[in-house]
Amino acid sequence: MVHEAAVGANGKPRIAAGMPVTLKINKRQYSIEVDPRTSLLDCIRENLAITGTKKGCDHGQCGACTVIVNGRRINSCLSLALMHEGDEVTTVEGLGDPDHMHPLQEAFVECDAYQCGYCTSGQLMSAAALLTETCGHSDEDVREAMSGNICRCGAYANIVSAIQQARSKS
Amino acid sequence: MSDNKDSNPKQKPPANQQPAQTAVLEPKKTSVGHATRRIDGPLKVTGKAVYTSDHNFPGMVYAVPVGATIANGKVTKIETAEAEKMPGVHAIYHRTNIGQLFRVAPDATFTAYTDEPRPPLEDDTVRYYGQYVALAVADTFEQAKAAADAVKVTYQEEKPNVSTKLTSDTKETVESHRGDPQKAFDSASIKLDETYTTQTQTHNVIELHATVAVFDGTKFTMYETTQGVVNHKNVLVQVLGVDPENLQVISKFLGSGFGSKITPWSHCALAGAAARNLNRPVKLVVSRKMSFQTVGHRPRTQQRVRLSAQPDGKLTSIQHDYLNSTSILDDYKENCGECTSYLYSTPNLKVTTALSRRNIGTPTSMRGPGAVPGLFATESAMDELAIKLKMDPVKFRIINEPTIDEGLNLPFASRHLIGCYKQGADLFGWDQRDPRIGSMKRDGLTLGWGTAGASWIAERFPAEVAVQLNNDGTVRVSSATQDIGTGTYTIFAQVVGDKLGIPIEKVEVVLGDTSLPAGPLSGGSMGIASIIPATSKAIEKAIDTLLTAAVKSPLSKYSGARKQELALTNGNVHKKDQLSKDGVPFEVIMKEVNLNKISGRGSSPGTFFGKKQSSVHSYGCHFVEVTWQEEIARLRVSRVVTVIDAGKIINPKTGRNQIEGAIVMGLGMALFEGTEYEPTRGAPINSNLADYILPVNADTPKMDVHFLEVPNTELNEYGARGIGEIGLAGLAPALANAVHHATGIRVRNLPIRIEELLGEKS
Repeated sequence: MVHEAAVGANGKPRIAAGMPVTLKINKRQYSIEVDPRTSLLDCIRENLAITGTKKGCDHGQCGACTVIVNGRRINSCLSLALMHEGDEVTTVEGLGDPDHMHPLQEAFVECDAYQCGYCTSGQLMSAAALLTETCGHSDEDVREAMSGNICRCGAYANIVSAIQQARSKS
Repeated sequence: MSDNKDSNPKQKPPANQQPAQTAVLEPKKTSVGHATRRIDGPLKVTGKAVYTSDHNFPGMVYAVPVGATIANGKVTKIETAEAEKMPGVHAIYHRTNIGQLFRVAPDATFTAYTDEPRPPLEDDTVRYYGQYVALAVADTFEQAKAAADAVKVTYQEEKPNVSTKLTSDTKETVESHRGDPQKAFDSASIKLDETYTTQTQTHNVIELHATVAVFDGTKFTMYETTQGVVNHKNVLVQVLGVDPENLQVISKFLGSGFGSKITPWSHCALAGAAARNLNRPVKLVVSRKMSFQTVGHRPRTQQRVRLSAQPDGKLTSIQHDYLNSTSILDDYKENCGECTSYLYSTPNLKVTTALSRRNIGTPTSMRGPGAVPGLFATESAMDELAIKLKMDPVKFRIINEPTIDEGLNLPFASRHLIGCYKQGADLFGWDQRDPRIGSMKRDGLTLGWGTAGASWIAERFPAEVAVQLNNDGTVRVSSATQDIGTGTYTIFAQVVGDKLGIPIEKVEVVLGDTSLPAGPLSGGSMGIASIIPATSKAIEKAIDTLLTAAVKSPLSKYSGARKQELALTNGNVHKKDQLSKDGVPFEVIMKEVNLNKISGRGSSPGTFFGKKQSSVHSYGCHFVEVTWQEEIARLRVSRVVTVIDAGKIINPKTGRNQIEGAIVMGLGMALFEGTEYEPTRGAPINSNLADYILPVNADTPKMDVHFLEVPNTELNEYGARGIGEIGLAGLAPALANAVHHATGIRVRNLPIRIEELLGEKS
């Protein structure tokens, strides 16, 4: 049997029993049909091919998939795409691009707050949410608030420095 | 030390000043040694760096493997009918319908190497839990996962052996031997005989292993996450049975490897076979759970260490006998004795090794393979013996510092371990240490201070590099190596920037593609040392061509000059008796003579297999402070001082990050990490990131990292050695030694668990 593309350039997967949903990602609206089993993470990455957000565990244990939904950071792997009708979703692509980096992105580059870069999108989205949360001023406070995002390269000290640098400037 | 052959900058100008070419001495712009931001940083922080599973192609389908749910036995039946009928399913593959996959020929040169040469689905025997027995392919990930779950596999199960108590299943090999250690041990009055174990560790790189395979009817393009694109290709052409020109491996960015991505694993072949069978792009992402089963791990080690010493502290014997677990089919050796023969001076020494077979997936290198678990045993033992001698552990090590590598009977190329200890002790405040157990307090907490040494190999892989001067003033450097997160993109740009005297912003670095000149593996901390000589040669060739063109073409300012009179400094072509600022930029010459690009290619051999003239290693030491609250059994690591002797550091910003990251990983190894195999079924049961505990940000101690930076030009002109692994070596024993100092409890089995600290003092 021959099937159409699972991921087409138009972002419309061919799926059985798909359900319609409209997602607002980085201020852009996407009206698509998704398999009800599709996580928000897989929907963003596979159905819409917006791949800055990463999958590291699919169990809400590593934080690589962190996105901001209506101002709150969430693990996008633990949430189904269909649950986000009308929600405002921000991914790392919504923070800034290489020519117009967000102060946090700038600080991450300056402080070498990564190595391989794979967990970085999640770290940045957690950090971006942290800027709006109630969080103390000390490095320890930041470390605690950032402990849902695992960096296996262990760039934790630099991640804290970058966040503190961005906070001091904002 | 008198035997060292360090390059002395006072006697010999640094290589980057090119004295032979420059008659007029002038400051040279250099990018080497600067704490430069990563050139790929902006891509990494904006989601624009493309990793393997980020690739999406028209017509692409998703593959999900079915892993065995037994660890020992046979597949007797696979029922696929139900799964095949499910929506979106293209195929359910198993042994009889996937097509032939081939084994990988033995290779000892790391050019076509794999730790698991058996291809997937080769036979019906199951030798470890999670071994792939089938593959579901469907339009979407959800459909493929549901189909994989619907495949019914029947097994004939036998009891697996996943025992943590290791006994030798292979003949004991003597790795190093001198004198008569047993006799010395027997006659000594001060001695130690203890066994240390390290638990199986899973790499748990945050980027999941993945393959996106594209097949066009003839040629494969494999988007892989690999620490060695060239090796990866050389393995896959064998497994898939295709000619080398018909398979290209691309790995532009990878979410690190720590050894788990040095060689291809069986999912790569499954994805390739499915793409060929279906004539469609196939994406296969190995789940976190599967990554505890099928993509390698650091095996369990069990190490008996016997030491003896005179009352003055001089070691009279060292015996290090170690075992590691390996899989049923593969002989993976965790080289625990790597540092033992040369780290300390002793007339009597023996190191032996053997393997212990288990129904567990194939082990592989994990950051600092061998040395890291090996040093846990030997550096813990050194601490224990220092206590028996009532001697300071730093002093004990200094007393036993060798003047030559006594294992190889060769001079050290460069060894500054005592320098590391002296600086580290000073920065840490070690002279304030009260050796009495639990005697040091701060803010109501008991402090423990411990130290241990580190060493790691320094070698080069063969490497080829191409450099291309462009007439817009930019330079392209390319090699089929890859940046696993260590900073290779940036280091390449710094080296090229230094050699040509141009800003690194003008250097484009192209890596991670087997269509480029064959570059080194990113393994063994050998990448940077390997690429420097080849890059230098490529640049020399390009400059020579540039200068030839400059003097030969009537269109050039230097037309008719002698090539020997010219040089390229700070990006400018100039006469050697003039300053570079009086010359002209190389791109102006190229425009004058109407050249679009000038290329040079360089290669350099590896150092692994030749006869050694000297013992080349990196060294270091850690000083660790823990805090202990006995009332609530709370152990924290509060600070670490680390001093590393790894020669010239090309980029202190990325370099320090490497060492800090290794300290964090060492903390995980010492306190948290261990893959647990359920004894009746053989499954790794803590196969997720909540039950296999990794260090998080809140676990990070205060870290103070220093580099001695004594260049030694044995490996390359900058005197740079690798720093990816050395920082992990020695951290776990330093921490265990600190725990003993705080609690009086000697933990000889990693990870150190709180419950062990509630026991009796040892």
